[in-house]
Amino acid sequence: MTYELTQREVNKLRRILLQLLDNSEADSCVLCDQAGHVLAHENVRKGMDPMLISALGAGVFAATRELARLLGEDEFSSVLHQGLKRSILIGAANEEVLLVVLFSGNEKVGLVKLYTPSAAVAVRSVFEAVVTSEQEAEEESIDRNFVIKVNGDIFGGQP
Amino acid sequence: MAFINHESREIQLKIVYYGPALCGKTTNLETVHKMIRRDHKGDLTSLDTAKDRTLFFDFMPLVADVIEGFTTRFQMYTVPGQVMYNTTRRIVLQGVDGVVFVADSQWSEMSANVESLKNLGDNLQAQKITPDDIPYVLQYNKRDIPGVAPVHYLEFLLNNQGTRRPSFTSVATDGSGVFDTLNMIAKLVLHKFVKEARGDGDKDEKADEILIR
Repeated sequence: MTYELTQREVNKLRRILLQLLDNSEADSCVLCDQAGHVLAHENVRKGMDPMLISALGAGVFAATRELARLLGEDEFSSVLHQGLKRSILIGAANEEVLLVVLFSGNEKVGLVKLYTPSAAVAVRSVFEAVVTSEQEAEEESIDRNFVIKVNGDIFGGQP
Repeated sequence: MAFINHESREIQLKIVYYGPALCGKTTNLETVHKMIRRDHKGDLTSLDTAKDRTLFFDFMPLVADVIEGFTTRFQMYTVPGQVMYNTTRRIVLQGVDGVVFVADSQWSEMSANVESLKNLGDNLQAQKITPDDIPYVLQYNKRDIPGVAPVHYLEFLLNNQGTRRPSFTSVATDGSGVFDTLNMIAKLVLHKFVKEARGDGDKDEKADEILIR
């Protein structure tokens, strides 16, 4: 199974992320799925790999979902890890998609908690729109005729 | 589950190394990380215990220029092998595109191999993935230890499902067989991805066979 985002959808998602950063005064955010794929990201500082944030964020949230299940909860809607200087909030946009928000300064916790749910709703609506007929028609024009250009080994090792 | 980003022209694919405790899953990734070209790899991150046993997963991104017009990123994970961490294994398997099953070649580990393989099948089915439908490679590790089980016995024991899968012998600590395994799973995952994206269905079965040879 494969899923994909068009340029238009990614642009919509990026606008939502930028709006969230603006409203909440957070530093950066990453949108990822539960497999750890990076769907979009904004303002992630150099040296910090969005893919690693996604892999760890998806892992943390999946573990949290299991804890919720153990406690008989349907879901914990978000997870907050609060540090002295930097903190991170992970919220679910839907069953598959997670919003990871990184921010500095404990005084911003309230703002991040306030604005992340509305951003999550906006993200959810983008993914719901993907299944409309208009989008399907647009997607049909995408060239999926991918060509593998390597005949031999993809990765080589150097001792 | 592969992901295509048409905006950044990027394809992301997920490969998981599975197998019993202490079979060499983490060592595989460590060896790849040590030997692969710098421009093909990101950092190797290990979530492990104080005794270097994998607690949650190891993660390493690899990047390759293999599909025209796109950057392909492989997300490489290991699972914890210890029986008690099954919830963690299920979490790490979410959205997997290809699996490497690392078996321990020592006679004493045969029941652990069989149990782990069965556990893999159960956990894939819990995600509604039929084990026969997913790219999957076997690696018989620790071939440097004297008196290990012969390959034909491991094939009989572990490679006996509906479709016979590619298999490799390895010594993950010195790197032998590690890249053969990695390249095969990467090719199988890529091939399945391209086939599904084109909507080719089963038309390319012959190409699959060629790849596996």
